[in-house]
Amino acid sequence: MNFDEYQLDDDVYDEMFLPDGTPREHSQDLYELLCQLSSEELANIQDRVTRSFSNEGITFTVYGDEEAEERIIPIDSLPRVLSNTEWQEIEAGLTQRISALNSFLEDVYGRVGSNDPYGEPRIVHDGVIPVDMVRGCPQYRVEMRGFSAPHGTWVAICGTDIVRTNDGFRVLEDNLRVPSGVSYMLANREAVKKSYRRLYRRSRVREIEHYGQVLQTTLRELAPGGQSDPTIVLLTPGVYNSAFYEHIFLAREIGAELVEGRDLLVNNGFVYMRTTTGLRRVDVVYRRVDDDFLDPLVFRPDSLLGVPGLLHAYKLGNVALVNAPGTGVADDKSMYAYVPDMIRYYLSEEPILANVETYLCRRREDLEYTLDNLQDMVVKRVGESGGYGMLVGPHASPQEREEYAEQLRADPAGFISQPVLALSRAPCFIDGRFEPRHVDLRPFVLHGRETRIVPGAFCRVALRRGSLVVNSSQGGGGKDFWVVED
Amino acid sequence: MLSRSAQGLYWMGRYLERAQHLCRLLQLQTAALVDRPVQEIYFGWSRIYISVNRLPPGGSLGLTASDDGSFEEDFTLADSYTLADDLTFERSNPGSVWSCFAMARENARQTRNCVSAEMWSHLNLVYLRLQGRDIQDIWATSPESFYTQTTNEINTLIGVAAATMYRDAGWHFLQLGRFIERAQLAVSLFQAQLATEVHFEESSEADWTSLLRAYHALEVYNRSYSVDVQPNQVLDLLATDPLLPDSLCQSLDVVGAQLDAIGPGPNAESSGATRRLAGRLGSLIYYDWPDLEDREQALQDLAAFCRDLHTLITTTYFDYQVDASPVS
Repeated sequence: MNFDEYQLDDDVYDEMFLPDGTPREHSQDLYELLCQLSSEELANIQDRVTRSFSNEGITFTVYGDEEAEERIIPIDSLPRVLSNTEWQEIEAGLTQRISALNSFLEDVYGRVGSNDPYGEPRIVHDGVIPVDMVRGCPQYRVEMRGFSAPHGTWVAICGTDIVRTNDGFRVLEDNLRVPSGVSYMLANREAVKKSYRRLYRRSRVREIEHYGQVLQTTLRELAPGGQSDPTIVLLTPGVYNSAFYEHIFLAREIGAELVEGRDLLVNNGFVYMRTTTGLRRVDVVYRRVDDDFLDPLVFRPDSLLGVPGLLHAYKLGNVALVNAPGTGVADDKSMYAYVPDMIRYYLSEEPILANVETYLCRRREDLEYTLDNLQDMVVKRVGESGGYGMLVGPHASPQEREEYAEQLRADPAGFISQPVLALSRAPCFIDGRFEPRHVDLRPFVLHGRETRIVPGAFCRVALRRGSLVVNSSQGGGGKDFWVVED
Repeated sequence: MLSRSAQGLYWMGRYLERAQHLCRLLQLQTAALVDRPVQEIYFGWSRIYISVNRLPPGGSLGLTASDDGSFEEDFTLADSYTLADDLTFERSNPGSVWSCFAMARENARQTRNCVSAEMWSHLNLVYLRLQGRDIQDIWATSPESFYTQTTNEINTLIGVAAATMYRDAGWHFLQLGRFIERAQLAVSLFQAQLATEVHFEESSEADWTSLLRAYHALEVYNRSYSVDVQPNQVLDLLATDPLLPDSLCQSLDVVGAQLDAIGPGPNAESSGATRRLAGRLGSLIYYDWPDLEDREQALQDLAAFCRDLHTLITTTYFDYQVDASPVS
């Protein structure tokens, strides 16, 4: 197969090709191999990769009216390749970022360095972030006020969305609550590397399969009382959660019990799980349940997914909760705009990874700019995620834009806007041809007492032609992502 | 081991056994369609439906007597198609092969960190294959070979589990579920055999031969007793032969052994009661059965004991009471 029909666009960075159409250095080997393979061979590889997902039951569940349907995330079999030098920039940027975000959360909630535990955060006091942005944020958890997270680690597991434009890498979103997708990073690699045995070996792709060990180390570091062999559990909302496969997968990887809220109970401030031989103490809870549902005594009282008394046990220091409750205040879509300032404020450093230019519609001038340029903007609701409630200006009809503008005027603080980004594209094998599709990247950052990042990521692809939305709920798929030694 | 995981594995064992048992019966039943007399085929269907305690679609088996029998022949095949569909693919029948297998897989999916990767992989493949089949499609070729294949696949699955699973409590709960289910299914099949006999007012030797076949015991029977099939001797063999892999006494032995391996639960009293009941079940077969006149009564007792044992296992290991105060 050749790339004669493959289209390049000067405004869009292509992951495989230079603007003149020659392959980038680190993609040279892959390019040559793809040119040698026939369309049938490529179709076979694609088929094998897809089949390995359904055979292994790597699925997410979609609930319709009648039967629940298990679907697989479509995986494109061509890997996306990045050089180690480029990766190191990302790695340094992510390390810097999680450090600033943890400092921010400690500042917002904690009592360290403050005589008045209920006073303003330093960053608010010093005029960097307005107070209502913090305390008025729906994700701000007043219940955590005056609490300091052990080791200052509020966020131990984070999945950061990064995009690339002709101007370099940009962070699109920090996911600091219960980020998902890491199982796809590992499963994509497992499925894809088998199809490119020789290339894989020769390319010296950096390994990622130790992610489970690193995650276990991170969770152990957070165990109360510095225990060397703590009991770790993964708390899942259960089989109806769309990421349930990932929960099973990770529990296996880290040798933790996979528990639901009903398996745990709190007695006298300690957490126990119900086993066939009686109750057993639990030291670390890697929770994949949202704050709201975590503890019905503190958060939503109607929650059946949580554990009554869990937050009490956490505040007593008898159990570690990963991530800590309340981290949502730092990954809120409008707080995002302040992360570069946080980095400067807490670390006295310049951000290594830039943000996407963001307009906070709560500011009058930003609102006006957004409304005037709606056809060129992406507008997002502050509280939504997963690609929902979003307006992609250039793809919307004038009527859709007008309707959206009305919502915007009614509740400006509920929205942010960003210029439409020319997300980079990578070749995909679609309908028997190589076609460019927009991609992003979600690497996973782990932080117990130090930061560790496995050199890999879940690379998401907008499989619909021209689409910029990579979310799996919106027609997105995945790709394997290789960091190759230079 | 986490109680909910143990319970999941226990149920997975039960559902797998149920699916396999039904497949085996349907395998014999569809094979009979080729050459057996109508009466015998109806006996077989009736036995299955009574044993699973379900009404056939339409409410009853359409047993119509006609003088020359040709009318009946046609309907036997048509009915069998419907009945096999009801027992194999009917999603709304919680006891169909499909439903049992889907439940087994669902339990495995939820406890996947407790089963081996090889086992999950195989289970999922069988599930995907079953999902692509329907009654029309298996009837068009050879329904019998479909059931043979599915039975074999479940056997393979159990072999894969035996070869790859860690022998912790999870393994023992899986086995416990399988063998309690096996004992219960055997008891209800024997009861159904006797009930169908009453219903039909007579039974032929062939109806008992097919029961022996269901347990792979026909040749053993011919060797141990005679080629002349006696109902009571058939029941004795299937209940008490310690060498027959599917016999009642064999299943109950395994149940006892699994409970020993699992050990007591958090509550000594109910743990003791569980173990004693399992022992009583075994002794009923080993020490009481040989002297019995009334096998029907014994089967009733066994059925009740099996139900009680299930309840005791549930309250001992899975749903035990705990007093706790969430906030100190």
